[in-house]
Amino acid sequence: MSAVSSSDTPAISCQHVWQVFGNNADSALKEALSQHESPDDVSATLRAQGLVPAVQDANFEVKEGELFVIMGLSGSGKSTLIRCISHLLHATSGEIRIEGEDIVSASKARLIELRRKTLGMVFQHFGLFPHMTVLDNVAYPLRVQGVKRKARQAKARDVIELVGLQGREDHYPRELSGGQRQRVGIARSLVADCRVWFLDEPFSALDPLIRRQLQDEFLDIQAKLKTTIVFITHDINEALKLADRIAIMRDGKIVQIGTPADIVLNPVDDYVREFSKDVAKGRHAKVASVMQSPENHVYGADDPGLRRDMTLDAALARCMDLYEPVPVRDADGTLVGVINPADLAAALQVEPTE
Amino acid sequence: MRGLSKGSLAALITVVVGVLCLLLEGALPWLTTYPKTWVLPASDAIGMGVEAGLVFVKPAARMFSALMAYPMAATNYVLAALPWPLLIAATVALGWRLGGVRMAAMAAFGLGLVLLSGYWPQGMNTLALVAVSVPLALIAGAAIGILANEFPRFRAPVQALLDVMQTVPTFAYLTPLLVLFGFGPVVGLIASAIYAAPPMARNVLLGLQRVEPEVKEAAVMSGGTRMQQLFQVEIPAAKVQIMVGVNQCLMAALSMVIIAAVIGGFEDIGWEVLLTMRKAQFGPAMLAGSVIVIFAILIDRMSGTLAQERRRLWDGRISLGIMALGLVGSLLFWRALADPGSYQALDPVADGLDSWLTDFTRSNADLLTSFKNSIMFYVLLPLRIGLDQAILPFTWGFQWTTGMSLWFFAAAGAGAVVLTLRGQLTGALVLLIMAGILETGVSQLPWPFVLVGVGALAWVAGGLRLAMLSVGLLSTILVSGLWERALLSLYLSGASVVACAILGGGIGLLSAASPLAWRVVRPICDMLQTIPLFVFLIPVLMVFQIGEFSAFLAIIAYAIVPMIRYTRQGLIATPEEMIEAATASGATGWQMMRDVRAPYAAPTILLGLNQTILYAFAMLVIAALIGTTGLGQSIYLALGQADVGLGISAGAAMAILALIADRIVQGFAEERKKALGL
Repeated sequence: MSAVSSSDTPAISCQHVWQVFGNNADSALKEALSQHESPDDVSATLRAQGLVPAVQDANFEVKEGELFVIMGLSGSGKSTLIRCISHLLHATSGEIRIEGEDIVSASKARLIELRRKTLGMVFQHFGLFPHMTVLDNVAYPLRVQGVKRKARQAKARDVIELVGLQGREDHYPRELSGGQRQRVGIARSLVADCRVWFLDEPFSALDPLIRRQLQDEFLDIQAKLKTTIVFITHDINEALKLADRIAIMRDGKIVQIGTPADIVLNPVDDYVREFSKDVAKGRHAKVASVMQSPENHVYGADDPGLRRDMTLDAALARCMDLYEPVPVRDADGTLVGVINPADLAAALQVEPTE
Repeated sequence: MRGLSKGSLAALITVVVGVLCLLLEGALPWLTTYPKTWVLPASDAIGMGVEAGLVFVKPAARMFSALMAYPMAATNYVLAALPWPLLIAATVALGWRLGGVRMAAMAAFGLGLVLLSGYWPQGMNTLALVAVSVPLALIAGAAIGILANEFPRFRAPVQALLDVMQTVPTFAYLTPLLVLFGFGPVVGLIASAIYAAPPMARNVLLGLQRVEPEVKEAAVMSGGTRMQQLFQVEIPAAKVQIMVGVNQCLMAALSMVIIAAVIGGFEDIGWEVLLTMRKAQFGPAMLAGSVIVIFAILIDRMSGTLAQERRRLWDGRISLGIMALGLVGSLLFWRALADPGSYQALDPVADGLDSWLTDFTRSNADLLTSFKNSIMFYVLLPLRIGLDQAILPFTWGFQWTTGMSLWFFAAAGAGAVVLTLRGQLTGALVLLIMAGILETGVSQLPWPFVLVGVGALAWVAGGLRLAMLSVGLLSTILVSGLWERALLSLYLSGASVVACAILGGGIGLLSAASPLAWRVVRPICDMLQTIPLFVFLIPVLMVFQIGEFSAFLAIIAYAIVPMIRYTRQGLIATPEEMIEAATASGATGWQMMRDVRAPYAAPTILLGLNQTILYAFAMLVIAALIGTTGLGQSIYLALGQADVGLGISAGAAMAILALIADRIVQGFAEERKKALGL
């Protein structure tokens, strides 16, 4: 590997990534970048030339093993951004590193190598090969690497079992339901033991019950495999449920990056606030996001047994009739913070009611 | 000029030019007939240029031709040497494998008829040609399609080339090929490969482009090299569309092999048809024609199963059994097997048909003649030479006079005034144009009027670029001296297209309204689309003899199918919600058709019209065999005289007419689509 990767190298790092569509986008962007400082001015210049800046100056890092969700409405550029990172699209400008290695300038051969060993991807409409059985679909990433039929089928069967599709190996995609198809898509993306996993709205095309079931299974798989994940969705509830951190995109720009609690409790603007409006905050924000450090804060005698990873709803239920600050403890009982029940209630009221 | 719509403005310009031409006709005779002295010797120049160029290619071509003779001779020998029971068994076995009992029975019945007709050897010769030309066309077509997919830069030029190849009439390739490759079946072989490759290329490209983007991306993300992506994922995923290409390729090759029989030199079934037709032996011509139709149906239906979305293969063991049966039968009766050409079981049928037909035409001579004459006298002739010359005591029973012309124009003018008062200015102007054309006749229209009229139409349909392209291309026909012939072609194809539009539109409407009607019409359409061009000539020729009227009927029979299909398709494809909305608003059935279904169907119907026009031009050239005037005849003459210059320039003129018609109609279709937000 050309770049040195150590434990503190982020799994993915994007610096000033731009994706512009249109004629001569490359040179137009270069010129606009040299003329203007702020990304908004650059975008305005590009738009005036009839170009479409689908991703504008995206900056973020994803840590190893982190589940990073990119959320936005359709047309916000989230699918374009994930395609830049997986290099299905060549980013117009900027630097994208995967495990420290710059993939924008990687050679074709190196990209194929990366996709074979490091990257996996799941698609919204599954992207299954219609002419192959479930087994062949799942085994395909091994087939292109030249793995012998027996070996690759054995590996494929393991993954098919992991996603709970055993017994359907010889079916064709058209014979499966939507949920089963996406399990095939997931299995296929996992068969080559990827370390970075891209999921492009994997559950959007499914009906709500199946979607929830697959989300839970996905979390189980992630708990087992601990891969680095970039997950695209337009569903705020899905994002809050799954994410370690969320990036919210609007019109090609990332407007806020934060933990689910950040997004819900401290939205940066009305756009983000609008998203989280209908979300039951108490169910998503954790105690840790409102507690204060134990130093310099006294607390009363009551200890309702709050934990830092409790949701606000659960915490509030325990101190309904308490008015004094209460302690928040770790799993082993160490004091980690102090919280005033009034703050708990206030946190749920951030939304200005009109 | 304020407030004038684009259409009205175009029509107004055309009317003004038309009136000017009419007024100045007497003073400036060069307005009607383009002076011979202004003609550039383009055909001769092209002929000389091409022949000079061909000199360099000729040795290579001749070598290729000599090379191709081997596989041809080999297939020919194999097909001729194999005992017929084995061949029939093989086809039946294949039929079983692809389509079960039905297909097997069809193969057995069809080939049985071929055997009994006594045309087995000729049929095998034709199949040998197809068997060699199709792989060539498939490989070339697939390669072109894949390359165009891989290199987006080539896509536009390749598409343009395929469009042009579709519009260049079949006969037109033959002359240069003849010069290049020399007489003989190899020319037919190469012509059919050239003719059959474009549908394959088109479908391969279309199929590859239609593979879902996510499927392609999944192949990329699986880490496949470009070759792996293409051959393991994209091509297999596009299989259904590619198989449609294979099917079209086979049919095109068969059609062209039969057309190429006019060159002669090969004892194939097309030659047999031509020979018997020339000798006016219609029974045998029908018989030989049926052999072609049988081949066409078998090839089409069998290869058609390959293009089905979820096809199943039938038990291969039964296929093997049938093969074994055929082999055993051939071996056991080796000595007893008669020469397949000697069967004449169907000859009595042919003779019977022949004599019945003779009786029929004789006993119904009056009826047939009056039918033919009334269409000729009242429709085709006026359209061709105008009312002023077509109306004679001999045809209409009276003489058209200048006074009548004035009355005629006065009536048209009155109609135009009424229309204008009702706010339909464009309609009024178009009425005037129509009246002018009818009075003068298409073949005698003054050339400035045609140029301006077509230019104006193209301008409305597709803007200034299309108008300039159309006028420029038409001018090349004008200066190359093929103008009169081009107008004759325009008249005949125009008359046929109008007839197709009215008849086909009506049948399509009926089929859309009544499922029962569609159940009757559909198999007829399927049949008409399967039959090779050439065969259409036989029945019309039998009943109506050589002449323009037979050609007219043959063109209609061939070109009406797309009009019917697209009209029905467009009319039944109206979204359910729109129909429910109209019903809820209280529309009657007729109002629904007029106000909802028809406008929604307009773009589709226009596309059908476009196909009909292209089909009509294709058939027009073939119809030259049974006596039409115009460009088709020139192409056919050029073939006989191996006159490359005339062949190419007349072929190009034909292609230009087809291309302009195609672009204008497509322009209107696009505009309608945009207006509907589709």
